[in-house]
Amino acid sequence: MKFKASLTNHGIQILEKRFLHALDKVGKTWHVYLTPDHFIFLHNLLSFDGIQSVAQFSKQALFSDYRIASQTGNRIAFTLEMALFYSALRGSASICAAGGANGVHVRLAKKQTKSNGPNMPFLTFETQGGNSTVIHDVPISSPLSPGDIMELQSALESAQEIPPTLVQVPDLAKMQNFVERHKNIGDILKVSVTQYGDLLVEVATTLAIAGAAYCNLGVLGVHVDAPAESQAMKVRARMELALERGEALSVELKLKHFAKSLQCCLAEPDSAFLGIAPQAGCLTVIFQFFIPGTHQNDKSISLHCRLPVIDT
Amino acid sequence: MTSSSSSSSDLVCQLDSASGLIDALSSVRWKRSQDALVELSEHGIVLIVEESGCLQAKLYLKREIFASYEYQAEGRPRFGVSLGLLIDCLNLFTVPGLSRAVEIRYPGPDMQLLLESVESPSSDAFIFAEIRTKIPDTISWDYNFQPAGSTPISFTVKSAALKEAIDDLEWPGSSVQIILQPNPPCVSFRAEGHGDLQIDFMYYANTDLLMAFHCDQQICYRYKYKFLRATTSNMPSSVTKDKRGSKLTFGMGGLLKVQHLVSVTRSSTQHPNIDASGYQLPSRIAYIEFFVKPEVDEDPVNDA
Repeated sequence: MKFKASLTNHGIQILEKRFLHALDKVGKTWHVYLTPDHFIFLHNLLSFDGIQSVAQFSKQALFSDYRIASQTGNRIAFTLEMALFYSALRGSASICAAGGANGVHVRLAKKQTKSNGPNMPFLTFETQGGNSTVIHDVPISSPLSPGDIMELQSALESAQEIPPTLVQVPDLAKMQNFVERHKNIGDILKVSVTQYGDLLVEVATTLAIAGAAYCNLGVLGVHVDAPAESQAMKVRARMELALERGEALSVELKLKHFAKSLQCCLAEPDSAFLGIAPQAGCLTVIFQFFIPGTHQNDKSISLHCRLPVIDT
Repeated sequence: MTSSSSSSSDLVCQLDSASGLIDALSSVRWKRSQDALVELSEHGIVLIVEESGCLQAKLYLKREIFASYEYQAEGRPRFGVSLGLLIDCLNLFTVPGLSRAVEIRYPGPDMQLLLESVESPSSDAFIFAEIRTKIPDTISWDYNFQPAGSTPISFTVKSAALKEAIDDLEWPGSSVQIILQPNPPCVSFRAEGHGDLQIDFMYYANTDLLMAFHCDQQICYRYKYKFLRATTSNMPSSVTKDKRGSKLTFGMGGLLKVQHLVSVTRSSTQHPNIDASGYQLPSRIAYIEFFVKPEVDEDPVNDA
C-alpha cells in the first residue's frame, strides 16, 4: 500500500485558505478516501446520526504528482483529525509563503513513536525549504479493510444522489447570519422547497413561529410554474397549496445541523443549492464552485452536505 | 403577499428599522426569561416589566416613533408577551444587508403579535414572526409615584457615568445607599459588603457629569444592588454615544424613579426627523422609566 503525492501551490491555497477551515467547522473526524483519480474527505458517511459531508477533489486540482497503489483497486481510506491535518498544512503553507519551499510532498508512512513500540500509521507532510526539510507527521487510523472501503464507496455513491429539485440559496452569508439568529428562538428548523423556486425556512415552537420565505429562486432539476391562483397568496398558504399539489417537499431538521452545513461558506463557494431527497429522506446542500474568471462549474471540486431529518 | 387587510387588527404600525426598538426593549431586559405587559393606545405603546414587586420598568413608544401607526381599537388592549422572544424575533429583521422596515400587527387570528418585513423592490426575502401572546394574569403594580415634599428631590447625571458608577459598586455587593445632601450639593453612592466603596458626584466640581441637582434636605435611601443594576445593565451604546443624561427622582418613602432616553433611529440612518445639524427630534426618542423600591430597614437610615 503506497501513496505519495506533491501538492501544488494552488492545491495548498485551496485547502489551507478555504476548505480545511470549513471542514474543521463541520466535523472533527474525517475519512480520507484516496482513489486513482480523486482525493476525498468524507464526514460521518458510515453513520447517519449527524451531518454528512463530502468534499471531493480531482487529483489535478491539488497535486502535480500523484501515485497510489493498493490491493483494493488502488484505493486507500483512513480516518484523521481534521484539526491536525489543518495544522500540518498551515505549517507547510507558511514555509511556502516565505518563498523558500521547493514543494510539499505528502505520503503515507509507518513510524515507531516509542522505542520497542509498534509502528504507527501517519500521513507525512515533507516541506523542502532552501536549507532544510520540515517534516510534519499527522497521525491517522489504520487503513480501512477492503470490506470497509467497499462500504465507504457505496455510502459515497448513495450520498451523491441529487434531489429532483434544487433551489439556489440567494446569499449564503446572509442566510448563515439569519439562521444563527434563529438559535435563540428554537432548535428545530422546518425547510420547505417548491418546484416553483420558493424556499421557506422557519422555526416553530409553542411560543412563536419565525422565519423567512424566498421566492422566484433559480431552480435546477424539476421546475414547474406556480399556479396563477397562488400568486396573490401569502407565502405560507402558497407553500401549503404546493405541498397539497405534490409540487413541494418539506422537512424538519435540527437547526444546529443546518447552521453547521452553512459553515461550508468558509470554503468560498460561488453558489449553493438546497434540495430535499424523495420521500423527504434528507436535506441536501450542494455548494458550487466556478472555474476562476468564468461562470462555468468547476467539476474538479465538489462539496455537499446531507442533513438528517426528524421523523414527524 | 406581505400585507393582509388591517380591518380586523387593533394596531398596524411600521418601523423603518427594528434596531432602535431592539435597543429600547433590551434596556428593560435584565434577565433571560422575562414577561412583559404591553398596552396599546392611540398615543403609542407602553411596555411594562416587573420583578418581585420591587422593580418595575416602563418603556414608552410614542406613535411618532413609528413610520405609520393605524390604531382602531376601543379601549386599551393589553397582552402579555415574552420580552426575550420579542427581541429575538425582532433581531431577524436586522440581518446586515437584509435590514428592512418591519410591520407590527396585533392581534393575529389567534391573538398573536405579528411581525412582517415590509416588502421593497430590493428585498429578496420575506421575513415573518408570529409570537404567541398571553392574557395578563395580574394587573401591573401601580407605583403611585409621588414626590417627597413640595420640590421633587432629583438629580440628572450623564447616563454613561451613572452606569459606570453602578457597575463599580458590584464589587462590595450587597445593597447601595444613595445619599443626597444640599450643602455642598453632592450625590453619593455608597456600598458596604466585602469592602466599602463610595462614589461622590460633587455638583460644582462635576457639572459636566452631574448636570442638574435639586435637593433641599439630606436624604439617604438604601436599594438592593441587583435592582439598581437592572436600571443601567443593558443601556444601549447609543445612549452613551449620544452623551445623554439620566434623571433620578426620589418619591415618598424613597421610591426611586430612574429615567433614560433611548434613540430609536440609528444615527447612521438618514431620516427626515434628523436635521442637517444632527439634532434629533424628540419624536424619535423612546422614554424609559424604572421604579425601584428602597430596602426596608428595621432601623431607618433616612433622617429626613
